[in-house]
Amino acid sequence: MTTTSDKIKSQVRWLGNGNEAVAQAVLHCCYDGEGYYPITPSSEVGEEVAKAIAAGKTDMKYVIGTSELAAIGICTGMALAGGRVVDVTSAQGLLLKYEELSTVSGLGLPMVLNLSTREINAPLNIKNGHSDLMTMLGTGWLIFMAPTVQAAYDMNIIALKVAEEVLLPAVVAYDGFHTSHANRRIQVFENTQDVQEFLGEKPIDRILSGKSKQCSVVDTKNPKTMGPYMNDDLMNTKVVMEQKMEHALNVVIPRVLKEFAEISGREYGLVQQYGDKNAATCMVALNTAGEAAKDAVDLLDRKDEKVNLVIPMLLRPWPENQISDAVGAAKKILVAERATQYGANNFMANELGAALQKKGNNAKIIQRTYGMGGLNFRLDDALYLYDLIKKWPNVEDENEKREKWYYGVWAGDPSYNPPVVVEPIKTEDCSINAKLERPNLKELSKMPNRIEKHAACPGCGIFANINLFLRGIDGQVILLFNTGCGMVTATGFPYTSFKVPYAHNLFHNASSTATGIVEMIDKFKKDNKVSDDITVICVSGDGGDDIGMDQVIAAALRNDPFIFMEYDNKGYMNTGAQMCYSGFKGQKNSNAHVGPNQQGKLTHHKDIIEILRGTYAPYLFQAAESQPIDMIRKARRAQQIVREGGFAFGKVFSTCPLNWGLEEARCPQAVAKVVDACLHPLYEIDHGKTTLNYNPEEKGKKIAVTEAFASMGAGFAHLAKPNFATLMEETQKHVDYRWERLKAMSGSTVL
Amino acid sequence: MSQDYRLPYKDDLGFCNIIFSAIGGEGANMAAKLLFKLGVEMFDLDGGYDAKYGSEKKGTPTDVSVRFCDYGTPVRSAGPTTQPHFLVAFREFLIRPLSLNRGLQANATVIVNSTKSPEEVRDILQLNSGTVICLDATDIAAKTHSRLNMPMMAMLCYELKFDPEKVKEKVAKQWPKVAQANLAAFDAAVAQSKRATFKDDGKYPLVSFTEHRDERIGYLNMPEGGAIDATRFSTIGKNNRLSGTGFFPKFEQASCITCGMCMTVCSDPGSLKWVDGKMTGIDENYCKGCMRCVAICPSHKKGKALQFPCPEAEALTTGKKV
Repeated sequence: MTTTSDKIKSQVRWLGNGNEAVAQAVLHCCYDGEGYYPITPSSEVGEEVAKAIAAGKTDMKYVIGTSELAAIGICTGMALAGGRVVDVTSAQGLLLKYEELSTVSGLGLPMVLNLSTREINAPLNIKNGHSDLMTMLGTGWLIFMAPTVQAAYDMNIIALKVAEEVLLPAVVAYDGFHTSHANRRIQVFENTQDVQEFLGEKPIDRILSGKSKQCSVVDTKNPKTMGPYMNDDLMNTKVVMEQKMEHALNVVIPRVLKEFAEISGREYGLVQQYGDKNAATCMVALNTAGEAAKDAVDLLDRKDEKVNLVIPMLLRPWPENQISDAVGAAKKILVAERATQYGANNFMANELGAALQKKGNNAKIIQRTYGMGGLNFRLDDALYLYDLIKKWPNVEDENEKREKWYYGVWAGDPSYNPPVVVEPIKTEDCSINAKLERPNLKELSKMPNRIEKHAACPGCGIFANINLFLRGIDGQVILLFNTGCGMVTATGFPYTSFKVPYAHNLFHNASSTATGIVEMIDKFKKDNKVSDDITVICVSGDGGDDIGMDQVIAAALRNDPFIFMEYDNKGYMNTGAQMCYSGFKGQKNSNAHVGPNQQGKLTHHKDIIEILRGTYAPYLFQAAESQPIDMIRKARRAQQIVREGGFAFGKVFSTCPLNWGLEEARCPQAVAKVVDACLHPLYEIDHGKTTLNYNPEEKGKKIAVTEAFASMGAGFAHLAKPNFATLMEETQKHVDYRWERLKAMSGSTVL
Repeated sequence: MSQDYRLPYKDDLGFCNIIFSAIGGEGANMAAKLLFKLGVEMFDLDGGYDAKYGSEKKGTPTDVSVRFCDYGTPVRSAGPTTQPHFLVAFREFLIRPLSLNRGLQANATVIVNSTKSPEEVRDILQLNSGTVICLDATDIAAKTHSRLNMPMMAMLCYELKFDPEKVKEKVAKQWPKVAQANLAAFDAAVAQSKRATFKDDGKYPLVSFTEHRDERIGYLNMPEGGAIDATRFSTIGKNNRLSGTGFFPKFEQASCITCGMCMTVCSDPGSLKWVDGKMTGIDENYCKGCMRCVAICPSHKKGKALQFPCPEAEALTTGKKV
């Protein structure tokens, strides 16, 4: 796989994981911009770029959107202007971008999207799978595969050059965790200039000098209408796309791979063939599984057993001639896929079958789906499958006789039925608030816990808040969680920490899901099918109210009868402490760093309550554990509102000892200080009327924002240092401004 | 770069495999990453550093692996090793629940943070054969103001025969702010370790690697949509202790004024045994030892009902040097 050439460019040894290698390539490609939104396991790519920006190592534009759709929308805008643009995603992130994918390819916008593959599924899983990748097959994107950390770096450079020449966007797909988080020793170019020369002029330069057919909205001398409405002509655009793919396959990609080999010494083909082409058995596998299978080929070869291995390096365009050739003389071909099509043959199996048929090759195709949800595929797994191909269909296991089956699954023991350990909570045991004029902690200690014994970090504020809030809620409760630490730590299959009915849908749509549920409860009650007093409560982190902001606003606008509770811990803590719009200005995030060119988060904290004020929802509030009776009172009021048919939204401030670097026992004090600094004022808006419920000024407790930040742990400690004085002065002014506004509203009879 | 360095073990594919078993937040990942870097930069080795990733919370058990090979050996497979020659266990209590002898090779080297003897640890681990090295890394880390990962890594580097001076130089460079503490921990580790070597005496067989999971629920009996029956499959029946700090607050009934403040800040209220409107104690099956309740529990003339059980617990959860 290596070559020597006099054009070879200087390279250096580099250590890092797949995501970091991709980030290296992004920096070496000198992109003009990146639209970004975090998602495991690809988040790190954007974090590394953000680090370089803060350090002043790149001048690329970097915008963190409120969602994956927003991120790729930002990328599309950058590309419409003629920018060299990159994005990164995984799994549900890709699906949320999905409607934009065909826009980007259809408009002929080159772009590179790094896909750190991850399974898309319910129940949720964050690990590797190619289900996300396979949704891209028909979108008109070039699809390059990167089986190793080295390839993840290299393919980023290759894919970009091809994309900018054929004017199609490109995906570089590398395995989530298995490659994204695997640390390896690789070679990277020493001089960015060499990568620049290889890539050629940037799109904007080619456009403005008339060297490219690509269009740009900033080219005012040649105004173009981009993205018109189109009727019958649409069919012709399909031919244009097809021709681009053909040209890429036959001309551009082979040439670019050759040119890349000349400067790097690393040769890539459209397909990798490994082992013996004359062997009777062959396996086809993508990415890391293909790599693991190479070791199996070698070990079998030592035992003089010849087998063949084919690793496609390109899925679109599909190099079918090269693949038909690579399977050689095989009579049985096992196509191993980290994806499945339920009720039909799998993706690559279909495409390989069609390719072989064209050549008159009637080799038997065996399909195995493996490794979805992150199961490792190792040497032993490859050896097992080679053995299976050799014996198939003469195997004992009935399932293994099948042409299509799943590898690495287990049947379970149908007689297994452990005893009841939790009795369902009775409505009558949850009617304590109804009997209390005011919240009383002693009495409310008798409220059954609706959730307990979770696996959240010690000191985590999420369940402290939820449980405190739920003490004020009588009757039956249905809990709906947006994706986040809360759901991950309380529902690890096959055990749950919830004693009451619970559902998780996605990251952003617990509010819409709640709407569906309350509508059904209403109908079933009218139909006399349900009689329970049920309160539906959504629980979301502050991140869920970035990506799901529109749906929360819509639920408020419809005035749907449920409670929405946001635990605000100032970041995307489940994915690794990325920036949330709710975070404080200057806060350190894994994608908003402190460096010579940047002082952490760029903007002031989002005020979701004031955003929702304009919906005229009947009850909005902020609460904190530092004022527990106030929080319980608000829970009671929220339930009253919901019972009257209205929507209630509350934000509670929540500590994250892990990502703030805050010692657990210091959490309660940090909450109190944040409240006393007016960074999280305790107030409510009841039917449009604002009331401050706690005024630290009147109690002589108001403190400077820096004092609150100093109490929040290592992640905020920098804000109290002298070099942040100017920023803190501005933050103090801004917080005071918000506080004064709030006081004015609280004193008013109409606001 | 040293051409003389020879890996102490090699498998069929030319790899020397090391597995770290620790609790999230103990620095195993950082140690393994640095070890990989040391091997590559000092001895021109190749290989990989991989981890078993999930949702990374404090207290979650984590596997981290480093595989070394000579440069030029193809590095292909992904994920942690399943055939370790070295086991580095940051917590002895992880050995049994995680069955850390799975996949461990014959004549392995096992480094365990434990005050027990190598003989006792061999029996806990059910080690077929090899060398067991015990060191009280918790004590060393506390005394040197370092972290657990430093003594553990020092011991591993010693066993790998990495030149200690070069290793210390890199450690000091990697974490300059805590260089002194880390180097003190490095020196203390080797000096205080106890070791014993065991032949394959037939006491314990070699155990091949299997995934550590419960396979009683599979595709035949999984509830519709992967749902969970909350009455039967509840975490309430499970041991949750691994995810805690290992400490529990001290509760004195006589000092309790039943103000209820502990209940308002507890992140898992099952931890507090409230009976008929009265706080009666701590349920150690629930409590993660965050000491939030200790921080909020008021002092008054009857005293303070919830207190730190020991200075270590206070130091850990408040950052105060006690």
